[in-house]
Amino acid sequence: MPEIEGSPGTSMHGVTGREPVLAFSVASPMVHMDHNAKFDLPVDSEHKATVFKLFSFANPHMRTFHLSWISFFTTFISTFAAAPLVPIIRDNLNLTKSDIGNAGVASVSGSIFSRLVMGAVCDLLGPRYGCAFLIMLSAPTVFCMSFVSDASGYIVVRFMIGFSLATFVSCQYWMSTMFNSKIIGLVNGTAAGWGNMGGGATQLLMPVLFEIIKKAGATPFTAWRIAFFVPGWFNVIMGILVLTLGQDLPDGNLGALQKKGDVAKDKFGKVLWYAVTNYRTWIFVLLYGYSMGVELTIDNVIAEYFYDRFDLQLHLAGIIAACFGMANLLARPFGGFTSDYMAKRFGMRGRLWNLWLLQTAGGVCCVCLGLVNSLPLAITFMMLFSIGAQAACGATFGIIPFISRRSLGIISGMTGAGGNFGSGLTQLIFFASAPFSTAKGLTYMGLMIIGCTLPVSLVHFPQWGSMFLPPSKDIVKGSEEHYYVSEWTEEEKQKGMHQASLKFAENCRSERGGKVASAPTPPNNTPGHV
Amino acid sequence: MEVPASFVVVSLLLSCFVGTSYGVYFSSLNKTLIVTATPKQGQVLKAGEDKITVTWRFNKTYPAGTDSSYKTIKIKLCYAPVSQKDRSWRKTVDLLKKDKTCPHKIVARPYAASNNTFTWTIERDIPSAVYFVRAFAVNAEDQQVAYGQTTDAHKSTNLFEVQAITGRHVSLDVASICFSAFSIVSLAGFFYMEKRKGKK
Repeated sequence: MPEIEGSPGTSMHGVTGREPVLAFSVASPMVHMDHNAKFDLPVDSEHKATVFKLFSFANPHMRTFHLSWISFFTTFISTFAAAPLVPIIRDNLNLTKSDIGNAGVASVSGSIFSRLVMGAVCDLLGPRYGCAFLIMLSAPTVFCMSFVSDASGYIVVRFMIGFSLATFVSCQYWMSTMFNSKIIGLVNGTAAGWGNMGGGATQLLMPVLFEIIKKAGATPFTAWRIAFFVPGWFNVIMGILVLTLGQDLPDGNLGALQKKGDVAKDKFGKVLWYAVTNYRTWIFVLLYGYSMGVELTIDNVIAEYFYDRFDLQLHLAGIIAACFGMANLLARPFGGFTSDYMAKRFGMRGRLWNLWLLQTAGGVCCVCLGLVNSLPLAITFMMLFSIGAQAACGATFGIIPFISRRSLGIISGMTGAGGNFGSGLTQLIFFASAPFSTAKGLTYMGLMIIGCTLPVSLVHFPQWGSMFLPPSKDIVKGSEEHYYVSEWTEEEKQKGMHQASLKFAENCRSERGGKVASAPTPPNNTPGHV
Repeated sequence: MEVPASFVVVSLLLSCFVGTSYGVYFSSLNKTLIVTATPKQGQVLKAGEDKITVTWRFNKTYPAGTDSSYKTIKIKLCYAPVSQKDRSWRKTVDLLKKDKTCPHKIVARPYAASNNTFTWTIERDIPSAVYFVRAFAVNAEDQQVAYGQTTDAHKSTNLFEVQAITGRHVSLDVASICFSAFSIVSLAGFFYMEKRKGKK
């Protein structure tokens, strides 16, 4: 009997179109475990880990986790490396306020495009190649900073470096292939949060490097250029590690699995269609622009804000700015954790409310950040804002894996791109143009966050409901299977291409929350039933 | 539960709008010092190479005893309005504590009524901009009590330009190219090797 596989991340031992399939007649909230698989961690039927062991480096699950978040961390360091050094760079290159603002917009705009492309690349070529190619090809752009001598060069180089932020997509995608949906909120939140910390770490790292290089004898206008070699080398080293130590899926690399026939190749056009025609995708694109987007904006403006408004020294402003980004260590995983926790009791509705609460609270604190005149209060509101926004990012990616199974990669990419688009937009409206002071810009941005978070109330899953509406009472339409299998045509179902979606539907029954009564078997869903 | 918390927040907020507004205002100072500098109107000087010679003395047309509180003279390099445009970090503010017009120190000397001169090589971290020179007379409490400058009240005459160093070096450029090439070549190498292994 030939083994038929579905999309990446599945392993279908012994299940073909002819044998009786796994019984769906008893819907249980328990995850179907595969006890025969030989992995370091307990795995489910898709060979995704069901347990998250933070300090292990075991192949493939935890090793992937560490490779993934550290490469993402590296790209954040490179992209925002210029921000804490702007007070020096603006004098060296004779920049005006709009030059600085435009460079900030440019630094996040490049990855709008690259994050979209990366989603497709992950679906088709695998996250390992996607990640490695991106960070090793963006290393030269970081080294290019040594050539920059005017505003236009500065803007172009920051634009090119910004492409590397697409590692976010490969990171999240890679986590989704390696970890079960019950813990995906926490895992994605931790990986992305620790990666985002790079935006904070760089605010500490670059001024320190700059001081050291200056003390070693270089003039300020040369020292900042030399400092850029360090992030460039981080890129190269991480690229090599990802290529040599990483693998796409729990069972091996995508190319090898596709050759063996274990993994079916999907069509890009179809994958894109199901991503784009799902309205939830677009709501999350908008929402992420006002959690991640504002986080990126703050990474670009906050050090200069504290330096100029409160007359702090460069390294002190850098330390405060670093605290904003470093809060990601706990804040984003916290958001993923609260999402998973709320899901246990309230299912998907809990996840949606959790997201709305966190993101709106962040917006309120952003409003206050721009209003206060005292340094301690500004720091307090900045930290509260960081926790709200970053936890909201974690909560967002606790929900994204459930929007679609077939188009997960592209949806992750589109959402990530939305984050960058939001950042570019907010920097353009509130910070790059002269009439606003930075303080006013922060307040208005906070108001926009509150407004743009409201659409989360419109997200409705027929099988789980929404913030205000209950799930569909229809037996067929209200099942997880119906929602996920509806992404496949009859032809594709005949070929058995939807098996992975079926497995996924079975594994995510827990999103109903609370006590899950046995759901009646939806008819006509079991392929080739004898 | 909510009301006390928001009350605390609001009162804290209001309390920090009471800004600190004590301090010396530039408009309260008299121009009792006469300051001249060697650069002529529109001259372009190179940072790290060219020199500025500043001379300053007390303007004797002011009543004697006006300078009794002057302890130190601080000479500064200041931005002209054209270099402050679109650059809010160089803004002129009347409250001298917050004023960012003159961030670059040239020299500080104990006060003497006449015969003061100093030659300064323009440092290599001075940015490209249009400048003038200003001297502040400072009292024993380190507060500004008088000033003098090489330009007029509108900061439009006798301005000179400084051209900064680029900060670039050939060695940096070469290192940058070598490292970039390494990154691309090793990536291509890995990819090629894996494809070859896959074909076998």
